[in-house]
Amino acid sequence: MMTAYIIRRLLQSVIVIIGVTLLSFLTLHLAGDPTYLYVSERASEQEIIDTRQKLGFDRPLPVQYIDYIGGVLTGDFGTSLRARQPAMELVMERLPATLELTLFAMAISTVIAIPIGILAAINRGTPFDGGIMLFAMFGQSIPSFWLGIMLILSVGLGLRALPISGHVPLLEPLFAGDFQTAFANSGDALRYLIMPGITVGVFSLSRNARLVRSAMLEVLSQEYVTTARSKGLREQVVIVRHALRNALIPIVTMIGLEFGFLLSGVVVAETVFSWPGVGRLVFNAITQRDIPVVQASVVLFSFLFVGLNLLIDIIYAQLDPRIRLR
Amino acid sequence: MSGRSRLVVLVSLLALLATAFGVYAQTTPDENTLVIGQSVDVGSLEPSLVGSRAEANIFGHLYGTLFDITADGTLAPYLANSYSISEDGTEWTFTLNEGLTCHDGEALTAEDVVYTFQRAANPENAFTGNTVGFVFPSVGYVDARAENDLEVTIITDRAQSEPLRLGLLSEVYLHCKDYYESLTLEEAAESPVGSGPYRFVEWVRDDYVAIEAVDPSAPSFDRIVWRVIPEASTRVAELIAGNVDIVANVPPDQVAAVDASGVAAVQAVQGTRRMYVGFQFGEAFADSPGYDAIQNTAVRVALQYAIDVPTICSSLLGTECTRASSMVNPPNDNPNLTPYPYDPAMAEQLLDEAGYPRNADGVRFEITLMGPRGRYLNDANVVQAIGQYLTDIGVQTTVEILDWSSDYLPRVREKNVGPIFFLGTGGSTWSALYDMADLSAPDAGTNYTNWNNSEWFELWDSTAGTTPEEERELINQMLEVFYNDPPWLLLYFQPDFYGVSNRVAWQARRDEQVIVLDASLAE
Repeated sequence: MMTAYIIRRLLQSVIVIIGVTLLSFLTLHLAGDPTYLYVSERASEQEIIDTRQKLGFDRPLPVQYIDYIGGVLTGDFGTSLRARQPAMELVMERLPATLELTLFAMAISTVIAIPIGILAAINRGTPFDGGIMLFAMFGQSIPSFWLGIMLILSVGLGLRALPISGHVPLLEPLFAGDFQTAFANSGDALRYLIMPGITVGVFSLSRNARLVRSAMLEVLSQEYVTTARSKGLREQVVIVRHALRNALIPIVTMIGLEFGFLLSGVVVAETVFSWPGVGRLVFNAITQRDIPVVQASVVLFSFLFVGLNLLIDIIYAQLDPRIRLR
Repeated sequence: MSGRSRLVVLVSLLALLATAFGVYAQTTPDENTLVIGQSVDVGSLEPSLVGSRAEANIFGHLYGTLFDITADGTLAPYLANSYSISEDGTEWTFTLNEGLTCHDGEALTAEDVVYTFQRAANPENAFTGNTVGFVFPSVGYVDARAENDLEVTIITDRAQSEPLRLGLLSEVYLHCKDYYESLTLEEAAESPVGSGPYRFVEWVRDDYVAIEAVDPSAPSFDRIVWRVIPEASTRVAELIAGNVDIVANVPPDQVAAVDASGVAAVQAVQGTRRMYVGFQFGEAFADSPGYDAIQNTAVRVALQYAIDVPTICSSLLGTECTRASSMVNPPNDNPNLTPYPYDPAMAEQLLDEAGYPRNADGVRFEITLMGPRGRYLNDANVVQAIGQYLTDIGVQTTVEILDWSSDYLPRVREKNVGPIFFLGTGGSTWSALYDMADLSAPDAGTNYTNWNNSEWFELWDSTAGTTPEEERELINQMLEVFYNDPPWLLLYFQPDFYGVSNRVAWQARRDEQVIVLDASLAE
């Protein structure tokens, strides 16, 4: 049953991906003729026509799209108009940096959110709870762009405690099997990660803290928790084994979706902190109408999102046996 | 949870943060390294595919050219030491210096120069950008031919102004045949082997490009690192922190912070980009309000008096600037022309005389001013200010701000902006005709206003094959025509702001290029 479900979901994902690529393709073309971004400021009309032909933008849109999809089916995602390199190669080259940032932000938003959410719940109504909720409200209200700049000015420039911008690779050497470099880079990589990671993760951290708090409050009022306490179990055991385990179901769902949310939210942090990731690549590709790169990113991200959702569904079923995949 | 447990959690969290933060040693460049922060990365390291200033900045160090355009606009011998021109002006023969080599040791001869030009022009390579898209059509490039090892002839289809052609040909980056022939286009875009004073070391996309001196005893810095820092505030922070030595495009509102830092200072230079409001003569806007009025030369002259350009510069651009008297950058402009002063009373008087008096509600005529957002220094605010100045003299102006890349740029290229529109076009320090080439023909792609003054275009056609003195006289005449029958409302040459570390001695150029061959450690 599980295998059939996975196959069905994968087939659905193909339709999703085709739809997403079609939408992004049309959007980029409807936003104006991309040719103008590839000619000199002083190009003549004839040069513009020639360039349009060289780039293939003179063909009807359906032909361009069908050509593209044909290429994708054979593993050819096209060549970047700007970099003259295979588009998917460019995206994959930057993916490790974005994954580092996303995973770090996710770690911040869960590792910190869960304990403070629990603490807020079990201290409901106290100044501690109020402080946490105030922090959460601020965290969800602060624009990430502003937060990034403030961190740079205060921590990077004022205290000189962390590097202002840049990146030291960690996952890239790891993926390449170069464990020695990955290990050697890990200290600096962490330092470079902290400020952009906080910038990306603080919104999710705040939201997760509130979610954990409310989920815990709901569970703590259940009768089985009262039963556990009346059995004489230690409070820590009641919280961790009985309450938290049941409160985890909505949290896991949220954390799973969180990855996608964070992945799509890294553009600002990557720009502010000069982080060489996919977000900036896509942003630049959109402004330069480098359609093959945008499309390659869209396909990759679609796969990631679909895969993640599938994974969440499977974990969900494992966590709660009452849930069955159909 | 007990108070003790809470304390443990809190202390653990603080310990984690303290460990992670630590005390970070900033990566200040060493004395042999110069670090430059620029907003965009190079798209490619292919020498025939230069399409942005960021690329030209790096290629200017990696590759040599026939002649060099110096900071003061002089055209100086570089890899070539002299040239001669055929009688009909179509063939230019350059003599190369002896003993030239590319960075891999391959000798750079006339054959390599021929290869450079032919490779760039080869349609199979489908190159776009400055060399193929602008230089070649501008000089009428036909082919190149090696006369011997040291002499190479560039064949064109027309005679042309000598400095204009020399300057244009000096934008072609020369490279060696054997190496580039052995590469695919994809490989060539990543592994440049040049002919200039610096050689390529490493490129981490969207992060940095590192180059090193071919001869460490020659330039001041052995190593130059071009860091990509897209956000202006971050660039400025890195400069003040001492991690970067030179940054371009310091926002005007951060100039004071840099100057007050004690570690860096801002150099404001009058750039070569001409900023103007174009008057649209094309039929596309014939039915738009105000179109008929601006077809009248007297109205266009009157509007020149309506804009307080010095105040726009000091208030919105953060620096003093002088108003342009023509489309040509000083010192190549016509010295007899004085910029139109800000004199709204004169503007109103001239509009009255032109037959556009204020009506009962104080409006003379209505018009729409289009402008971009996100392309030029504080562009949207400048456009708003211009709209207000025009409204103040009774020209009721509706300001329409459009996104640069998705909307405005395509419209400009299609000459579909107007009836009046704000724009800037790149200029030069080395040729008046280069600056005037925007209006090289009534149907030129860059004649965005569709201006068609027959006297101007007749004079333009007569510049080919003239002596420098004759050419100068013709240029002055043309600029007078432009001044008296203006297709542009002349504004200013866009200022550029460079942040420069106090540890470095370097003077910013006017032409938006960051060339640091003469940079050194400050004494």
